[in-house]
Amino acid sequence: MSDVLPEDGLPEDGLPEDGLPEDGLPEDVLLECDHIVKVFPGVRALDGVGLRLTAGSVHALLGENGAGKSTLIKVITGVHTPDGGRLLWRGEEIHLRSPLEAARAGIGVVHQERNLIPGFSVAENITLQSPPSRRGLVDRAAMTGPARRCLAELGLDIDPDRPVRELSVAQQQLVEIAKALHTESRVLLLDEPTASLSPQEAERLFDVVRRLAERGTCVVFVSHKLEEVFAVCDTVTVLRDGRSVLESAPLAEHTQDDVVTLMVGRAHAVADMTPRTVDAAAAPALALTDVSTAAGHQDISLSVRPGEIVGLYGLVGAGRSELVKAVLGLDRVTGGEIRVYGEPARIGSPREALHKYGIGYLTENRKEEGVFLEQPIVRNITVTVWKKLARALGYVSSREERGVSEELVDRLGIRVSGLEQNAGELSGGNQQKVSLAKWLAADTRLLVVDEPTVGVDVRTKHAFHELIWELARGGLPILLISSDLAEMVTLADRVVVMADHRVRGEVANDHDYDRMSGKIIRIIHDRAVSVVPAKGATA
Amino acid sequence: MTTLHDRGAAALPALRRFSRSTTMTLLCVVLAGYVALGISSSGSFFEGPSLRTFLQYLATPILIGLAQMVALCVGQLNLAVGALGGFSACLMGVLMADHGVPAGLAVLIGVLSATLIGLVTGVFIIATRINGFIVTLGTMTILLGAQYRLAGTRTIDGYSATLRDLGRAAPLNIPLVFVTALVAAALLAAFMYRTVAGRRLLAAGGNPLAARLSGISTDRQIVLAHTLSGLLIGIAALTATASLPGVNRSVGGDWLLPSFAAPIIGGVALTGGSVAVFGTVLASFVMRLIDTARAQFSLDPSWVNFLIGLVVLGTVVGGRIHQAHLGRRGGPPGRTPPVPPRSGPQPAGALPTTGGTR
Repeated sequence: MSDVLPEDGLPEDGLPEDGLPEDGLPEDVLLECDHIVKVFPGVRALDGVGLRLTAGSVHALLGENGAGKSTLIKVITGVHTPDGGRLLWRGEEIHLRSPLEAARAGIGVVHQERNLIPGFSVAENITLQSPPSRRGLVDRAAMTGPARRCLAELGLDIDPDRPVRELSVAQQQLVEIAKALHTESRVLLLDEPTASLSPQEAERLFDVVRRLAERGTCVVFVSHKLEEVFAVCDTVTVLRDGRSVLESAPLAEHTQDDVVTLMVGRAHAVADMTPRTVDAAAAPALALTDVSTAAGHQDISLSVRPGEIVGLYGLVGAGRSELVKAVLGLDRVTGGEIRVYGEPARIGSPREALHKYGIGYLTENRKEEGVFLEQPIVRNITVTVWKKLARALGYVSSREERGVSEELVDRLGIRVSGLEQNAGELSGGNQQKVSLAKWLAADTRLLVVDEPTVGVDVRTKHAFHELIWELARGGLPILLISSDLAEMVTLADRVVVMADHRVRGEVANDHDYDRMSGKIIRIIHDRAVSVVPAKGATA
Repeated sequence: MTTLHDRGAAALPALRRFSRSTTMTLLCVVLAGYVALGISSSGSFFEGPSLRTFLQYLATPILIGLAQMVALCVGQLNLAVGALGGFSACLMGVLMADHGVPAGLAVLIGVLSATLIGLVTGVFIIATRINGFIVTLGTMTILLGAQYRLAGTRTIDGYSATLRDLGRAAPLNIPLVFVTALVAAALLAAFMYRTVAGRRLLAAGGNPLAARLSGISTDRQIVLAHTLSGLLIGIAALTATASLPGVNRSVGGDWLLPSFAAPIIGGVALTGGSVAVFGTVLASFVMRLIDTARAQFSLDPSWVNFLIGLVVLGTVVGGRIHQAHLGRRGGPPGRTPPVPPRSGPQPAGALPTTGGTR
């Protein structure tokens, strides 16, 4: 690791002495993050994060959804360049401009997303970073040896010559870990490495992690399964809202409860809304009973009454949006019963969901699924009602279109220069309102709202919350999916908690952020430990 | 065969994979088609001269199919295949006929300029971030203009006798131009499967993000793919110039669609990340067989287009069905992805369905 310093040592970056840690170096600090800042449009993802990684330790990096864990990992591994702060490698400042530079510096990573080349063999994927070669020719024989060794270390019996596309999801995840082992990094970051592993496979991974630490590697472990964290890690950093609220502390000094409290914090403001009551006796507008789907959901039961906002909370990957998409007919429902206003429903497509059952879905994926960016606002709003507006031969009167749109633009307070403006020219918040407007135009009887305020600024967010609240007051049943806990606590009447494609619990909302967040986080973390289904195995 | 037997255990899975692949199917189709044609022509198709003509006009289709395949493997489309080929063929012709440039030099200039234009196209695509489809649509039109400018309405013939002799030479009834195409295919296959540069190209096409995280510049791969594509088109222009009676502005006019058909029939995914050099070559054989059958039975030429269209659709649909069948038999994972593609773990089912490298 002598070729560690890619920095050309330009003096204007500050004096090198600045980079030296306090005298003595009590322990072998490999990597240090000093007030790292990373800004994305509209959001400060990291706001002065500090982190010290010492050789031979297993370091837990914890935080809620959106606390900044993945962003921090991407900064450390050269995927993102920080907008402020310094990265120090063994006391000297480094600037990582690419993942390759990070790898050369001795930083390896397994990202949350799958990063394998489907058509390549297992061995070739493992050695992708530095394929063994002789005079430009790939040396396949030299590939299998190291690949076998890395696979054996994980106790994996996979033919190195098999293309990875033929492997199961769990096997693919293990191959990625084998790939990270092959780089022989001094710092190895594992972002949710056990997400699709069975308990046995995870246990084997922990053995490897411990062995690596004994050899002097620092392993950074990101997981939402606290049980795992406490089993393998010895130091911990907790992130909240892009800041480190606990920095590189010994894990033994903290209990699981402490850590949860730190993750949740009390910084969130829950906006007060005018009270709203739900008629508890009313028949549910949507009722799922023991629903299972092709996407892997099992025994899902939940109901939404008219005028009620039911929150669906869970970590990313818990299967919330997938559930809703299955209900809307985008994926197969394999069992159980769905009733819409008391009538058993078999919804084959979103078209049927809208026209037959009056269900609208405000997607989380605004730009791809929510609005037609290159189309004028009027067309974006009336797309759901063309059938109603159409006269003979499918002619749609533009006057009627404008009438419908104008009313909604006024009602939702969408800021536009004119109805002919393209939706793509609007701000994120206003695009989201246009996306909502089309469902209101269609007089939906049930609205599913998926991550409504991702990427919109605080003021618009509040306005949007009020809008959703008012819709519910008007009697519209709303199913709200959100990873923003504060948003949940602000809006929902009840919060249904999901993990691993199952419902794990339900909490009646008392709009007290601390109490609610504690309850919800505990439901997720308690259960996530004991039930770790091998997803790759469920067919 | 003994080596196969010796390495039994290791070679068996690979052999099984091959026996299920598109390439294997194509090989059977080609052999069956060839034999059928031979029998129906009461043997005359097996004789030297027929074979020679058959192979003579196979060289260019193979090369343009490969040129398109290289672009496809990084997820790009090259619409300028025919225009670039026609342009460099006319360039070679004009240089020799009008300017008296020696054949060797003229050919070299022609091939190099095709390569250079490919390079420039690639650089333009990554510099402007404009979709390759649009860029090559532009270069196609520009090159058609340039070709017309070079050749005008005349047919350039009477250029270098040596080149034409070489173009018609066929030791053992195997035309040299066909050998050239095969050598190019073999070199390309070696490049794709054996060299680090070739693997990078495929990695970038297979999963651009993963490639970038492994330190592979996807931009460079796009440039390299277009450059290679240009080189192969240049060689196709060479074989065309050498074996055609003359070159004019219509050379290359009918190259574009066959250039797509060959790799697609051969098992290459439009989404990138897979190549099938042998498959593409075999697909060119299939199309040539159809063409020959038409001549044999003096069928209406429209039948050829009809059949090739059917073969394209048939192979793709067949590949899908085959893949679904493999999936049902407890192949890769049960967790099918939701309909709209999302970020996050991608089960193998979401990957390109027609696997070329297998």
